[in-house]
Amino acid sequence: MDERASAESGTCVDAAREPGAGVLLPRRSDLSGEVPTDTDVVIVGGGLAGCALAYFLATQGVELAVLERAELNREASGTNAGSFHFQIAIHQLTGAGADADRDRLLADVRLLVRAAAMWRDLERELRADLGVHVTGGLMVAETPEQLQILVTKQRIERDGGLDTEVLTGAELRNFAPYLAEDLAGASYCATEGYANPLLAAPAFAARAFEAGAAVRTYAPVERIEQLEDAGAARFAVHHARGKVRAHRVVNAAGAWAHELARGNGFELPLRAEGLHMNVTEPRDRLLVPLIQHIGRRLTLKQSSNGTFIVGGGWPARAEPWPARPSVRWSSVAGNAAVARRVVPALADVRVIHTWAGVWAASKDLLPVVGESARVPGYFTCVVPTGFTLGPLMASLLAGQMTGTSATLPSEYSPDRAPTLARGGARQGGPS
Amino acid sequence: MNGRREEEVGLLVVGGGPAGLVAAELAARHGLTVLLVDERATFGGQIYRQPGPGFVVRDPRRVGRDYWAGVALVEAARGAGVELRARTAVLSLRGTTAVCLTEGDEHVTLLRARRVLVAPGASDRPVPFPGWTLPGVVTAGGAQALVKASRVAPGTRVAFAGSGPLALAFPAQLRHLGVNVVLALEAGPAPRAPTVARLVVAGWGNAALLRDALTYRARLLGARVPLRYGRIVVRAEGEDRVEAVVHAAADADWRAIPDSEERLEVDTLCVGYGFVPSTELLRLAGCQFGYDENLGGLVVEVDAWQRTNVEGVLAAGDGTGVRGALVAMAQARLAALGAAADLGAVSRARAARLARPVRRQLAAKERFRRALLPLYAVGPGIYELATPETVVCRCEEVTLARLEEAMEATVDTDALKSYTRAGMGLCQGRSCQPQIGAVLARRTGAASEAGSLLDGANEARRPVPRLSGGQLAALAGTTPRPPVRPAAIGVLADDTVPDRGLFVGG
Repeated sequence: MDERASAESGTCVDAAREPGAGVLLPRRSDLSGEVPTDTDVVIVGGGLAGCALAYFLATQGVELAVLERAELNREASGTNAGSFHFQIAIHQLTGAGADADRDRLLADVRLLVRAAAMWRDLERELRADLGVHVTGGLMVAETPEQLQILVTKQRIERDGGLDTEVLTGAELRNFAPYLAEDLAGASYCATEGYANPLLAAPAFAARAFEAGAAVRTYAPVERIEQLEDAGAARFAVHHARGKVRAHRVVNAAGAWAHELARGNGFELPLRAEGLHMNVTEPRDRLLVPLIQHIGRRLTLKQSSNGTFIVGGGWPARAEPWPARPSVRWSSVAGNAAVARRVVPALADVRVIHTWAGVWAASKDLLPVVGESARVPGYFTCVVPTGFTLGPLMASLLAGQMTGTSATLPSEYSPDRAPTLARGGARQGGPS
Repeated sequence: MNGRREEEVGLLVVGGGPAGLVAAELAARHGLTVLLVDERATFGGQIYRQPGPGFVVRDPRRVGRDYWAGVALVEAARGAGVELRARTAVLSLRGTTAVCLTEGDEHVTLLRARRVLVAPGASDRPVPFPGWTLPGVVTAGGAQALVKASRVAPGTRVAFAGSGPLALAFPAQLRHLGVNVVLALEAGPAPRAPTVARLVVAGWGNAALLRDALTYRARLLGARVPLRYGRIVVRAEGEDRVEAVVHAAADADWRAIPDSEERLEVDTLCVGYGFVPSTELLRLAGCQFGYDENLGGLVVEVDAWQRTNVEGVLAAGDGTGVRGALVAMAQARLAALGAAADLGAVSRARAARLARPVRRQLAAKERFRRALLPLYAVGPGIYELATPETVVCRCEEVTLARLEEAMEATVDTDALKSYTRAGMGLCQGRSCQPQIGAVLARRTGAASEAGSLLDGANEARRPVPRLSGGQLAALAGTTPRPPVRPAAIGVLADDTVPDRGLFVGG
C-alpha cells in the first residue's frame, strides 16, 4: 500500500492541517448553522457540482448559500467509482463513425484535457487529500471493427491535445499481460486515473465554507418563487428551515434537477437513472491502469487498497428517494461476465459488495450548464458522467457568473430541446 | 458454459438450524415441496452442530445430547421428503426469488419459491474492547463451533466473560471436555432468592431450561472454576497474543466500577455477551424491523404466522430475535402451518387448531424470558468499553477515535462509512455495526427515539419499538446489498445477459 493509500483511509476534520496532509471534511456544527435570509446566489444541491461551484464563487467573493436536503455528496457524486475518463468513449460517438463528428469530438477532447489538468492540481489547490491517482487508462477493443474505432478516435485525441496510443499484438501483451489474449487491441492514455469520490465534494464544501459560503445540510428546498418587484432579489427560495431571498439561483440538484425545474415551469433535458457498481475483496497488485471497453459496459480498476472496483453503466432499479436504487441481479451477472471476458484472472476474485447510485442522464450525455433564457437569473449546473467533468464545469459556470470568463457553449444550454440526441450509439441510454 | 440454473420449489427454507429443520419437516408433512439450504457443510445450526466432514462418531456417549437432537431433526426432515442442500448460500433475495450458490458449482442457481422462510440464526454479539482483536480472544460461538465441529480445545488457560441464561453452558461444556477453564465472568448479578422464586413460577413448563442452567452452574462450581457474577471484561493484554485478561466489577448498566480491576494471566479469552440475529437477508428483502437490545438488537417484525411485511417471506428462530432453540422450533411450526395454509395445503381452521398448543408454549417461554431479564438484561456499558485507540472495524482497521472524528462531520451511517471506510471490508459491517450504531445513538439521541434503545431496565413490559427508516439506518448500518456472502466473479458471471454496449461514466 503506498502512502497515499493509507492517507486516503485516514480522516480528519481539521481544516488547519498542512496542504494535502489529510482528508478534509466540513464540520456538522457548521453545516447545521442558520440559513441566511438574503444572499446573492443560492445553490440547490450539495453534490460535487454544487460544492465545487460554491468554492469557485466564494473564492471570488460572491456571497452565497448551498442548500442540501440531506448529507453532502450522498447521491451521484459520492456513489460513482471516481474514475477520470479522458479518452473519447462510445457514448460520444454516433453511428456515423468518429470522423463524421470530428469537430464536436475535438471540442470534447479539449475540454477533457482541461479537466485532466484541473484534477492534477486539485489536491494542491484545495490543500486536501482527494485520493487522486494518475494510473493511466486502457480502453480495450474485442473486434477489428472496435479496434478501427480506437484508431480513428486516437487521431482526434492527438489533434485535440490528448496523448493516447493504440497498442496491439505483442506490444499490448507485454504492456498489459492481464488482458485476455484474444482482444483486438487497446488504446492507452497515460493521464487517466481516479480520485476518491467520497472526499472530493466535502473538501470543496469545507474550503467554500472557509471562504464565506453558507453551506447547509438538511435544508430541503420546497420551491423557488420568482419575485416580481423586489429590488435586487429575483427569487425567494423556500426551504424546510425558512426562506432565503436571492438574486440568482443555481439548480445543482443532479438526478432531481428536472423535478426542481418543473416547479418553475420548464423542462430540463435530464432524467434520473440507476447505476450499478461492484467491489471485490482485496488482492495483490494485478493491474495499475483503469480499464474500459469501447464497445461494452465495463469500467474496471484495482484501487490503492487492492480491491477491484467494477462498473461501466449497468442499470439499477430506481426507488423513491431517500431509498437508494436497488441492485438488479442481471447487472451483477452481466457486469461480472464482461469483467471476466477482459481480465480472465478476475474469475476467482470474490465480489463482497455491490452498490447502486443514481446519475443524472441527459439524452446527449452532455452537461446541462448555464443560464436559462426563460428564467433570467436561474442557472443550472448538472453534469452527466460528472465526476470527471464536474469541477471543470463548475469553474466555467463560476467564470460566467462572475463575468471573468467566456460564456459557456450553447450546446450545454438548459434550454435545449429535451429530445436532443447526438447519434445512434446513445439512443435510449441505460434502462 | 455460463449462465444459471433455474429451479422452482414450494417452500424454500434458508438455514438448517433447529427452526429451519423443524419448519421444513412440518411443511413437507403437509404436502409442500421443500428445499432447505444451509451454507455450512452440516446441518443442525449452532446448537445442534454436527461434527465436520471427516469426523466419525465412534463413541456415541461422548458427543452429547445436542448431537443426538441434531441427528433426530435432520433425519425427521429427510424422512418427510425435504431436500437438504448443504454448502449452499443465498446470495440475494428479492420477493420469493433467491439467488443461491452451492460451493463448488460453476454458476449460481435462481430459485423461484412460492414461500421463503428465512431462519438464519444468530451470531455472537461483537463487543469491541481494548485488545479484542488479539489472537487468542475468541467468541463463544466461534470457540463452540471449533469444539463441536473439529473437537479442538481453544487453549490451555481459558477465561470466559459473558452474560445470558445459557452463557455458563459454554465454559461448562469446555470444562466437561477437559479444558482448563480458569475463570468465568457473568456480567449480570448473582441470582437472588426472590428472582429465583419468580423464575420457578414463570418457569413452569421450562423445567428443562432451568435444569440445564443449574447443571452448568453446578458443573463449574464442582470443577472449582471461579465463577464471578457482576463482573465484566475491561481489556485483553498481550503483545502478539492474549496474555492476560483485565476485568472489573460492573454496575447495573454494565459500566465498570473504578478501582475494581483485577488481572489474570490466560492464553485464551472467550467472550459471549449474547447473540445478535443475522439480518442481512431479511434486510435485503426489504423487511420491516424493530429494535430490542435484549433480543439481540434488530428484530424483524412478524405476524402471528411468522410472516414479514414482504409478501411470501417468513422468518423464524433466533434470526427474528434471540430466544433460544425451543422458541425457534415453536416459531418454525407456526411458520410451516402458516405457509401451508397460505398455499392451500391445509385449511385455515386446521392450521389454527394445530397452532394452539404451540402458541401456549410460546407464551410460557416468553413469560420465562421476561422473568429472566432482571438477571440478564444487556447493559448499555457493553458498548462503552472501547477506548479511542480500539480498532472498531477490524476489516478496515478503523479506530473509535477516527469514527468519533468523522462524527464531527456527519452522523449519517452511509456518510460515516464513506468517510472512514468502516464497514466496507470483508465482513460488511457485521462486527462493527452494533458498536457504531450505539455510539451514533448516544450522540444523536436516537436511543431515546428508538425507545431507550440500550436501556434494558424497563424493557419487560414494553413492546419492541418500531423503527423509522432513519432510525433503522442509524442502528442497522448502511443500505443492504447483495451478495450477502462473497462470491467469485467467475461464478456470478452470466454471458447470456445482454450487454447493449453503452458505456456511461462510472
